[in-house]
Amino acid sequence: MREEDERYFRRLEAQLDTAFDVAERAKERGGDPEPEVEIPVAKDMADRVENILGIDDVAERVRELEGEMSREEAALALAEDFAEGRVGDYETRAGKVEGAVRTAVALLTEGVVAAPIEGIDRVELLENDDGTEFVNVYYAGPIRSAGGTAQALSVLVADYTRALVGIEQYNARSEEVERYAEEIGLYDKETGLQYTPKDKETKFIAKHLPIMLDGEATGDEEVSGFRDLERVDTNNARGGMCLVLAEGIALKAPKIQRYTSALDEIDWPWLQDLIDGNYADEAADAPEDEDGEADEASDDGGGGENETEPAEPEGPVRAKSSQKFLRDLIAGRPVFSHPSAAGGFRLRYGRARNHGFATGGVHPATMHLLDDFLATGTQIKTERPGKAHGIVPVDTIDGPTVKLANGDVRRIDDPQEALEIRNGVERILDAGEYLVNYGEFVENNHPLSPASYVFEWWIQDLEAAGADVQALEDDPRIDLENPDADRALEWATSYDAPLHPQYTYLWHDVSVAEFRTLADAVANGRVERADGGDGTLVLAHDETVRGALEAIIVEHRQRPDDGRIEIDDWKPFAHTVGCEPRETVADGAAADPDARDRRPTVELERTWSDDDLSERARTWGHEEEGDNAIEAVNEVAPFTVRERAPTRIGNRMGRPEKSERRDLSPPVHTLFPIGEAGGPQRNVADAAKHAETMSDTPGVVELEIGRQRCENCGTETFKNRCPDCNERTTPDYRCPDCETQIEPDEAGRVECGHCEVEATCVERREVDLNEQYRDALKSVGERENAFEILKGVKGLTSTTKVPEPIEKGVLRAKHDVSSFKDGTVRYDMTDLPVTSVRATELDVDIGQLQALGYETDIHGDPLVHEDQLVELKVQDIVLSDGAAEHMMQTADFIDDLLEQYYGLEPFYELEDRQELVGELVFGMAPHTSAATVGRVVGFTSAAVGYAHPYFHAAKRRNCDGDEDCVMLLMDGLLNFSESFLPNQRGGKMDAPLVMSSRIDPSEIDDEAHNMDIASQYPREFYEATLEQADPGEVDIRIGEDTLGTDLEYTGFEHTHDVTDIAMGPDLSAYKTLGSMMEKMNAQLELSRKLRAVDETDVAERVIEYHFLPDLIGNLRAFSRQETRCLDCGEKFRRMPLTGDCRECGGRVNLTVHQGSVNKYMQTAIQVADEYDCRDYTKQRLEVLEKSLESIFENDKNKQSGIEDFM
Amino acid sequence: MPLEGPARIVSELTSRGYNAEREAVTRIAATENPATTLEAVLEDLPDDALVVRSEHVDSLLERAPVSDGARTTDPIGSPTDDGSDSGESPIDDGSGSSESSAGDGPDPTEPSTRDTSPSTGDERPTSRPTAAGGPVETRGVQEGSGRSADPLERSLEIAGDMTGESTGTGEYGDFVSVFRDRLERLGSKLRGRVNHRPATAIQSMPGGSEAGMVGLVNDVRSTASGHWLIELEDATGTFPWLVMKDREYADLVDELLYDEVVAMEGTLADDSGIAFVDSMYFPDVPRTHEPTTADRHVQAALISDVHVGSQEFMSEAWNRFADWLHTPEAQHVEYLLIAGDMVEGVGVYPNQDEELDVVDIYEQYEAFNERLKQVPGDIEIVMIPGNHDAVRLAEPQPGFDEELRGIMSAHDARIVSNPSTVTLEGVSVLMYHGVSLDEVIAELPEEKASYDDPHRAMYQLLKKRHVAPQFGGHTRLAPEEKDYLIMEEVPDIFHTGHVHKLGFGKYHNVLAINSGCWQSQTDFQKSVNIQPDAGFAPIVDLDTLDVTVQKFS
Repeated sequence: MREEDERYFRRLEAQLDTAFDVAERAKERGGDPEPEVEIPVAKDMADRVENILGIDDVAERVRELEGEMSREEAALALAEDFAEGRVGDYETRAGKVEGAVRTAVALLTEGVVAAPIEGIDRVELLENDDGTEFVNVYYAGPIRSAGGTAQALSVLVADYTRALVGIEQYNARSEEVERYAEEIGLYDKETGLQYTPKDKETKFIAKHLPIMLDGEATGDEEVSGFRDLERVDTNNARGGMCLVLAEGIALKAPKIQRYTSALDEIDWPWLQDLIDGNYADEAADAPEDEDGEADEASDDGGGGENETEPAEPEGPVRAKSSQKFLRDLIAGRPVFSHPSAAGGFRLRYGRARNHGFATGGVHPATMHLLDDFLATGTQIKTERPGKAHGIVPVDTIDGPTVKLANGDVRRIDDPQEALEIRNGVERILDAGEYLVNYGEFVENNHPLSPASYVFEWWIQDLEAAGADVQALEDDPRIDLENPDADRALEWATSYDAPLHPQYTYLWHDVSVAEFRTLADAVANGRVERADGGDGTLVLAHDETVRGALEAIIVEHRQRPDDGRIEIDDWKPFAHTVGCEPRETVADGAAADPDARDRRPTVELERTWSDDDLSERARTWGHEEEGDNAIEAVNEVAPFTVRERAPTRIGNRMGRPEKSERRDLSPPVHTLFPIGEAGGPQRNVADAAKHAETMSDTPGVVELEIGRQRCENCGTETFKNRCPDCNERTTPDYRCPDCETQIEPDEAGRVECGHCEVEATCVERREVDLNEQYRDALKSVGERENAFEILKGVKGLTSTTKVPEPIEKGVLRAKHDVSSFKDGTVRYDMTDLPVTSVRATELDVDIGQLQALGYETDIHGDPLVHEDQLVELKVQDIVLSDGAAEHMMQTADFIDDLLEQYYGLEPFYELEDRQELVGELVFGMAPHTSAATVGRVVGFTSAAVGYAHPYFHAAKRRNCDGDEDCVMLLMDGLLNFSESFLPNQRGGKMDAPLVMSSRIDPSEIDDEAHNMDIASQYPREFYEATLEQADPGEVDIRIGEDTLGTDLEYTGFEHTHDVTDIAMGPDLSAYKTLGSMMEKMNAQLELSRKLRAVDETDVAERVIEYHFLPDLIGNLRAFSRQETRCLDCGEKFRRMPLTGDCRECGGRVNLTVHQGSVNKYMQTAIQVADEYDCRDYTKQRLEVLEKSLESIFENDKNKQSGIEDFM
Repeated sequence: MPLEGPARIVSELTSRGYNAEREAVTRIAATENPATTLEAVLEDLPDDALVVRSEHVDSLLERAPVSDGARTTDPIGSPTDDGSDSGESPIDDGSGSSESSAGDGPDPTEPSTRDTSPSTGDERPTSRPTAAGGPVETRGVQEGSGRSADPLERSLEIAGDMTGESTGTGEYGDFVSVFRDRLERLGSKLRGRVNHRPATAIQSMPGGSEAGMVGLVNDVRSTASGHWLIELEDATGTFPWLVMKDREYADLVDELLYDEVVAMEGTLADDSGIAFVDSMYFPDVPRTHEPTTADRHVQAALISDVHVGSQEFMSEAWNRFADWLHTPEAQHVEYLLIAGDMVEGVGVYPNQDEELDVVDIYEQYEAFNERLKQVPGDIEIVMIPGNHDAVRLAEPQPGFDEELRGIMSAHDARIVSNPSTVTLEGVSVLMYHGVSLDEVIAELPEEKASYDDPHRAMYQLLKKRHVAPQFGGHTRLAPEEKDYLIMEEVPDIFHTGHVHKLGFGKYHNVLAINSGCWQSQTDFQKSVNIQPDAGFAPIVDLDTLDVTVQKFS
């Protein structure tokens, strides 16, 4: 590690320590469940593993093993430790296995996710039919977050430990084997599996597994056969088990085999058969139905799409198109490009500084012209290389090309211009470029798709052709990226380099026939020169010519009324179609004094005839012969012309971006129970006045609440401090049968020794809410008018039902922040990566950056200008404007809390948001249990959370539309308590059980290591893409290359700069448009404008995937619906025969009405009609419409037309 | 092989605008080259003739024999020997294949007809020869016309057709009316059997009294100690009835479906909050029920689930069936009842279009109509819709709308609602498509209802006197002013389809028939391991209610 990195971390940790001290002092004074901060700091992975598991000595042992072996091997070594009792304090053999399995999963998930605690419910010993014992591992749904490898290895570790402690193998009964097969099918249907093993494969695994896999019921659906088995407690699908068997063992068999073969104690010879697919012998009766499913499975990997059959006739190299991303299209989320469609996004390789790690770069002008549906952070579902991307704005790539209502065809590279011309756009001929970094292809193991011919490639071609590129770069008169036409032609001819990309048109999108027509048109055209320069090429207006020009996206003007098409900057274009301009000077013109006005005319001569084209050029094509003119171009043009955009990427909108405060529903200010007394709003003030009957005391409510006891004076209370003597109290456990007080044992278990039942401290008691509420207000010195409403919770869901002091809620309500289930205040943002930043875009000044330890820019120059780029430090994050504001409110709440509740000095004292810069926060992702410490470096107007990709990876997120939250550091330290967490499955997820104070790049999600960090992709890379090479064959520096070196925190270079990390619309139109109808209309409207989108297909899909399921579902629901009492809310399975509510005599009504059934009917019919959908779709709608009429209309009293009333 | 079977000859004739006598068709089919004969007959036909009669064919054949006239030896349509007097069901696959037309009696190795007996409940319907007496081929040819020419002997009446009578508008009150009507009408069948009291009255009776109640089953749950608590609801409220697990009625609890009407009698507990059940009654079919039968020997073919338009529609089997209807063996079949799912439909399940042979729903019905045309014109047809048809799914389902009726114009078939009761020469047939069978089979123990014995599930419906009692589950209900799904009168025959399994038997003398289908195993059925009974036509003798199954697949 470099000294400056060490300094950075020490600084963060010092800051953390300061905050910790304050929090510790506060906690000692207050009435929190624990008198100390409940989030332990983990400096490394070993610490996190130990903290998450709560098993002592694990961290030390992990550190010992880490240097010597891989993590998987360490998990196995730890299994030995558990078996022999060196680690963990387990007496039973089942306990030892359990400890080993949990530790293995924790180790393999770097101690971040909740899977080891939430995903494994327990391990128990059961009996085989021969009386021997075997191990049963009981999985739960959250094992999902561990991933396939860790899941599979957990089974292996269980088996290994089993062998070591001397337990027999599991012998599955035949009905259990069958049950596994049926259950996995059921789970796949209900929830879906990434990989679904065939029945015989499942049975083969089940028959051979030495460990029984079991688990909690997850779905509602039950298996139909093999029910009520003795050793399986449920008839529902067991989700955790299904995941481990299918996505773990079946999918990761080769990975586990590596370890089984190294271990003597255990023997899984059947794994080889599984890998080879040799399980058929044992189930020979099963019919062969491999083809369909096998294809499906290989497609899922994203790989295998590169089928280059040698027998194929010669043609351009193209990536295979895939429809998959269009599945489940939703109304209101538009398609931007159909699979590999002309006019769609053009693949450009490169990584912008706000890019990489499952993101895609789009020009901000494109975002605006796609009617603002794309904004920074919007998720799209994409054709390749992965499944989804988060969208980032990149303005150093090509913008879209559009045709305006006035006939102008223009490429728009300026977001401002895009906004100005937006209303005049008639058609979007080309969506512009789509920036994807090399690392995406590595991560998805996707063969490189043919690259567009772009500046980065051309400049290397030019250099290879012998040009002194350095000299050209230094020449201030030359703009290498956007040269004028003459210079481009000169380079192309004098250096024998391909034509500059800016003058390379999309010849591969026109046919050879169209190309000939174009050449003719040019030869018959004339050049008009009004003033100096090259003038304008004027062609006769013709539909074929117009279409071809639009397809190759040459900027031009269509003037059909005047019968002409005008092209400026026409020279490279004319040369490319094989037409030579010849100047014809009128006789004696030089002597003519008026020569200045009558310039020489230019004639264009076609230098080739159709017969000159070779057979190859004439038949060159992708879908059909001769549909690609690129070979013809190269035969007639006086220079090489590359394919401008051989790869188009289809995509559609996924989720919109997010930047919102996280509120429970309804929002909660205090985790204090008030039952139903607060009404549906859970208003504490109302509850304090509530009385069931006239005789009840207002505010006295019976609640389920944890009982605490003061050891000092024996007072019973539910508070954490004794109301009498202010000593801390402890939970008062009593046996529910014999009422004996029970003290928890060392493991925290509270079991009554006599009755052998679990003791509990939860009791129903009457609580005077009015008194509590008034006391709390008084104690923090606030009055009721300090806030609008204070909301509590109906009941507590934690094991001990310890309530939070109401005082905290009072102050939260005052500052309008609300609490999550664990007591913290959170703000959610879509994750996006950024590796270098400018002070200007972060709304900070250099001074602030310098104060944070930023000294030089990315080139090593001292920081002097606000627009210098600096490399972002690994734990620094950029807050969205909304997040900053919310953090300010939280900081005010914390300050008040410290002053008014804990009696300490305020901690933050923020006047404006600039002062937030440098403050620490927690980043925390769902499904994980570890928070990562981050530091605020600035702000952005984009509705996303930009941070270093390694920061996101440390939280186990990538940036393909994932979102997670930030919390203010002191809020987490003061207000988080494990005692508040729900005791149901998954309750410990998304809670900061531990925090990582520094990021070790080796301990993050390794997906981030595949991000490339080079400043340029070599020429060989571009050439390799044309052969659809494997990404591994190309040498470009990726994060993995610097792991473990001094440079692991630095040198994240990029190939494309961006002006600002927040460009384009701040919010996606999806969020700004109102109703679903408005969104859908905008979606269909956009689909009409886009050349790359088939609007009929979009309409079909919207009807098929959105309207029809809604209509059919609601119609079905209508004819079998429940009813509900409008007065008391009581529900009835069937309409009561009395007609009225049986509970209260109130009015009962339907829960599904005609209005909710047919709300989309007319729209769907209209859309089907307007967009010319298939008859099949229209007929389905017709049949449904008739059904609706039949149900909702009286045959004898039909709604008639208006004429009946005239 | 064009025009090889009578059915094709008929359709060829229809397409040219002619009707034909069955005998004429038989004769044409019997010639060596039916196509040529047909052409010759048509050429020879008087200009004003609309119907091709046997005389026309005869006169032609006499004048210019197109074939060698060996019509009795031609296997098509007139098998030389089908062993029809053996007491076994006749072997006839209708295809004229060598097996059945070999002329040496029933093939003992491959009885292609299903054994009709073992699935019956109370009574074994004996299979009998379709044509009483001598060898069919002689009778068929010698007696000439075959099917009764006298329409006066036939009678066909429809009851319970709600087509055009759907007055419900989907209001809450409509639902309440339906269930009240159910309690009222089915309850009236039970009120005589118990000393019934309204639920509210029972609530105020003293502990220990005897009480009876008639109501809808509102809830069934088991208690911690394994007894059953059944909540009955009537127009006044609900009352809980406890069935002790060791009492004889405990077994019946398994059979209960929500919202069926039952009566219970028992003793009130001391605190009057609950009653202990001593006896339980269902509306049921009286054991003494005597079915009505036809006065003459006449038969009806009961089929369902044709699924035209599906890639799995068994065109060949249907052709054989239609051909068979033209044979003398089928001369007594004068009625054809089709219990729903004429076509495969559109949008019945996701991505159905990929598995359709005919994607257009109207073309599906046109194709179905072509299939109807193959059926002899002198057979009366009654049809109800099913869940694949283009009508509402919620029951009762009205018959097809005018547009679809226009398409299915062949034969002037009677199109009525699902369910409806059709009375054929005195024999009442309750036709119901059978969607509720899925639910009965799912909810009841396997020994009481299963896909292998669909008629046993039908017995349960007969016992409940309701075709689809349970609300809120699988079956969809469209509220109408009254409950059209009740079996107010006991039918003589109960005919359903839907589950694509063949099964029949008698329950308290009511013949329950679930006809099979005309669709071979679909991918979905394969995935859940259902083997459909495809290509069978159960034929019922209306004078005896005996069943013969004809196999065409």
